[in-house]
Amino acid sequence: MSRSLTRREFLKAASAGIVGSALLGSTACSSPASPQRASANQRVTLNLWYWNRSIDDKILAQVDQQFPNVHLVPQKIGGDFKAKLLVSLAGHAYVPDITGINADISTYFPDKDQFYNLYDFGAHKVQREYLKWKWDEGVTPGGYMIGYPMDTGPTALFYRYDLLEKAGLPSDPDEVARAMPTWEAYFEAGRKFQAAMPHVHWLDDITTVFTQIMAQSPKQYMDKEGRFIGDGEHVKRAWDLSVRAHQMDLSGNVAGFTTDWNAAMDNGSIATFVGAVWMKLILEQAAPDTKGKWHVCRAPGGAGNNGGSFLAVTKYSKHPKEAFEVIRWVQSPPHQLQAYVEIDLYPSAPSVYSSPKMNHPEAFYGGQNTNLVFSTSARNVRPGYFGPGYDIINPIYGQYLTNVETQGANPEAAWHATLDEIKRQLSHQGMYKK
Amino acid sequence: MSVTGIATGREEGKGRTWQRAAGYLPVYASIAPFYILFAVFGLFPIFFSLYISFHSWDGIGPMRFVGLEQFEYLVTDNNFWISIVNTLVIWIMSTIPMLFLALVIAFLLNSQIRYRGAYRVAYFIPNVTSIVAIAIIFGSIFGNHFGLLNSVLHAIGLHQVQWLNNPWGIKVAIASMVVWRWTGYNAIIYLAGLQSIPGVLYEAARVDGASTPQIFFRITIPLLRPVILFTVITSTIGGMQLFTEPQILVGNSGGPGQAGLTMVLYLYQQAFTKNLFGYGAAIGWGLFVIIVLFSAINWRVVQRAGVR
Repeated sequence: MSRSLTRREFLKAASAGIVGSALLGSTACSSPASPQRASANQRVTLNLWYWNRSIDDKILAQVDQQFPNVHLVPQKIGGDFKAKLLVSLAGHAYVPDITGINADISTYFPDKDQFYNLYDFGAHKVQREYLKWKWDEGVTPGGYMIGYPMDTGPTALFYRYDLLEKAGLPSDPDEVARAMPTWEAYFEAGRKFQAAMPHVHWLDDITTVFTQIMAQSPKQYMDKEGRFIGDGEHVKRAWDLSVRAHQMDLSGNVAGFTTDWNAAMDNGSIATFVGAVWMKLILEQAAPDTKGKWHVCRAPGGAGNNGGSFLAVTKYSKHPKEAFEVIRWVQSPPHQLQAYVEIDLYPSAPSVYSSPKMNHPEAFYGGQNTNLVFSTSARNVRPGYFGPGYDIINPIYGQYLTNVETQGANPEAAWHATLDEIKRQLSHQGMYKK
Repeated sequence: MSVTGIATGREEGKGRTWQRAAGYLPVYASIAPFYILFAVFGLFPIFFSLYISFHSWDGIGPMRFVGLEQFEYLVTDNNFWISIVNTLVIWIMSTIPMLFLALVIAFLLNSQIRYRGAYRVAYFIPNVTSIVAIAIIFGSIFGNHFGLLNSVLHAIGLHQVQWLNNPWGIKVAIASMVVWRWTGYNAIIYLAGLQSIPGVLYEAARVDGASTPQIFFRITIPLLRPVILFTVITSTIGGMQLFTEPQILVGNSGGPGQAGLTMVLYLYQQAFTKNLFGYGAAIGWGLFVIIVLFSAINWRVVQRAGVR
């Protein structure tokens, strides 16, 4: 079928590969060594690792112009970002100077020595420009700042106002928010709604309910001393409310991020859901046929946050001062505003929330200016501490809650099984402390 | 390095040995790339995973030596046993229909039909299709509420099934993905086996008045036995390593009731989503023991087949 390679061609291709990889190696950053002072006429190279749509590429392209002494090499890392970052950190090789870190930043706290403390470079000078709760998420309980705030994910209630109207419920955003201040009131409205509209479910699934109640809670599963508090009243309440939504048959039982969820939204079999601001784009793409029929309003239970990311400077950087200056410039309030306009990243600098660029009628949401809702949510999030065990603990609640919803597991038994499983897994890591 | 025929005198022998080795240098150099790459990407990781399985490690911080603790935890870990059972069940649910179908398809392809080449290509294409794309398509086929399969069930008046909320539904979905992807591959291998069976045997059978099913079961199957064993072994290896299908279909948790949690998915979940690398390595070695067990069983079966 194909002509076989001649020896000469093979050697040519092979040597090109070797040279190519050598070049790649030399451009990437290297292992820790003595810090080097950058002279004025010499540019220092800074490597940045980020994932697709986490920073506006146009802003990154301007860094070299803005900083005459810096050459920024942005590298979009695809696939499993965290695994690749851990590999480079563990191998002490090709570690980027600057790296993106996701909402799981608290899982890096035990290894904070792998990063520079951004307070050492004067981060406190710009602290007031950002939301306090967001800023605090990037700082360890001991006051060591790993992460510089990027985007946030304030939450709100998304609802089909046409369906609510048909069911005889309030449909104006302010009225809906007033009628459903709590999760209990929200469920009660759901009961009325489903009585009038028997073929539509009130909400998408009960894991969403649990996640969103926890997203509003200042307390999570660990306190700052590392004690497990996931068996506390605040979590049990989220669990019980989720179970109640199931028992009232309010859930359409469609899990997020599935084709089923997309179909359910598009064909109108789900009336409401609570979600972060980035669900806007997902909804718009999933349900084009429902354009103009949605509104958003304050979520039952109040303000909450889902996700959001940070930038950090690794200890392997020879030019941490320059790296910090680049971060500060890239994530300055006007640039966060630009990133919102370009790629829909919701800013963590509240000063831009009133910009006309963020406030305009949106056709998909029936001409509503949704930013009024999300900015209020973002300003009112209560600071929470997630703790290093978050990635181990959090999925377990969802796992057992799904068993209640889909396998008919007994809710009380499932709650105790959840706690036993968490205790077992945390003990195994030596992280269990009461 | 193996050097044959060492001469009597020590000095002399040594000299000759070196001379010979030098003579073989181009040969060793030309096979070296494989061994170097294997040492770096195969051998070292294997031993390193054994090393970290005796430690507790989050991937960044210092490793903490914990002795056999990870293995003690492993044998008492309910999730690990669930993942073994899931893997075996899905393996059986996929391998038996897959190999049967592949054999039938190969038999049909081997007969005198038109466009044989086109059919062969068509049956092989699923094998080279992106597995992530396949998993997404199967996700919409088996959708709980609005899946294609449920539309069909509804159209013919049957009850809908929440496939991906149901432990058996999840296994059926994963197994059908494996069947879809690998049937053509196995059919091509069977076809190669079929073509090595001399035509005279078929002709003789026809002359003796044998029917097509008789020919299939009395001639084709017995002569194809070594090829069938080969496909059983490769399917076993593939089945034990099942990962992408369940991961894309039901996520890292393994789905409702952890019904899609296979052994490798569990390893991935522990090592790469929870960053418990020591434990992930221990699961890998658990996996190793199980595969050794299966290989031993396979080997026994092959041995017996050889005796017959």
